[in-house]
Amino acid sequence: MRLLTAALLATLMVAPGVAAKDPEGIYKTAEAKHFTRAEGVELSPAFTDYLYAELRSELAKTKLFVQVIGEGEAVEDADAANSVVIEGAITEYKKGNRATDAILGGYGVGARSLKLDVNLTRRSNKQNLGVVKVHVKVSPRWNEDVMAKVAAHQIAHEVKKGLKEKAKG
Amino acid sequence: MAKREVTEAKMFSQRCALVSAGILLGCALTPRAGRADEPKPTPENTIHIQLAAPVPPQKFAKPPKFFISEVIDRSGNPQPMLVLRERGGVFLDRQPTQIAREAIEQSLKAADLLAPDAASADLVMQIYLFHFGLAQGSGLDFFGKVEFSVMVKNLKTEESQEVQAKGTSIANAAVRKKNIQKNVQANIEGALEDAVRNLLRGTQLKEAVTSLQKNNPSASAAAPGGEMAFIQGNGDKGKSFKSKVQER
Repeated sequence: MRLLTAALLATLMVAPGVAAKDPEGIYKTAEAKHFTRAEGVELSPAFTDYLYAELRSELAKTKLFVQVIGEGEAVEDADAANSVVIEGAITEYKKGNRATDAILGGYGVGARSLKLDVNLTRRSNKQNLGVVKVHVKVSPRWNEDVMAKVAAHQIAHEVKKGLKEKAKG
Repeated sequence: MAKREVTEAKMFSQRCALVSAGILLGCALTPRAGRADEPKPTPENTIHIQLAAPVPPQKFAKPPKFFISEVIDRSGNPQPMLVLRERGGVFLDRQPTQIAREAIEQSLKAADLLAPDAASADLVMQIYLFHFGLAQGSGLDFFGKVEFSVMVKNLKTEESQEVQAKGTSIANAAVRKKNIQKNVQANIEGALEDAVRNLLRGTQLKEAVTSLQKNNPSASAAAPGGEMAFIQGNGDKGKSFKSKVQER
């Protein structure tokens, strides 16, 4: 009886953890591309490079993809159907106001703002797997690269959410 | 008595002024490099960068033999071997051009795509290195970047095509000097591997190889070039050749 109770307790403790564990490697590869910029977006050229690097790093952390490949890399034909291409555009950037942020920063006034549109497509047939819209707001005291890091983290989170829903549904 | 005290006080203040002027002059004349902690390469702060394993290149329909003619540094960096200035500095043990060359050659050799010399190669690569090492990041981590452009040339047709490759890697920042060095090394190695993979597995290289091999006149290589060119010349020359043959 004691053994049975112990086994039952152990099952109850382990089961939620197993159920909550993320599915690993649903897709074979993910190719992240450099984001394009809409007219009027004034960001340094290094920003796009850093965002690309951070996005690849964050996508690898999601464990949704077996491999996160670089832009323009070839994929085996057998893996193409199970591969995703992530491309996007920076649609809006506001550099914020330090003075306003210092006075009304708690309400998000004067913050740096970045808007991005991200498209997910299947590599083999260019099927649309979803569109992600991301809006990042950071303090104007932080530099552009910190904003890129926050944006990449948010994009990877949204991509993971979207693709997991797609895989389930 | 009072006059003597005033004179002594004056002399003392003059001495003080002279000493402080001397100190200031000394500070001004001391070279800047001597005062600031300009890092110097030592065995302790020098890292060795190499690929952990060769990067397998993509499969080509007709596998060519490559030869790397030269690697040119176009980074404009006056100290290419210094990768991190802070905390006593981190240095590379070889020039970035040499590291890049070895990494690409190692991968090509492993896949049997490396020619021993330019004469026996189907395609010759000339590499322009634009960035090697750490780049400016958020400051929360190390951002490694390796970027180069490769001019792939077919020596027989004199045609060439440009292929670009870029590799990035992000590693955690560290506090201890030993960990900083370890993370920087892992980071640059990651970026180098990524760049080599981007080159050798990239669609740009595939397109370049296909295009350059397509234009390779295998027939002209077999036959003596002069006559072949004469026969395939423009209308007038062709006609004159025909008439000469008919005359004979």
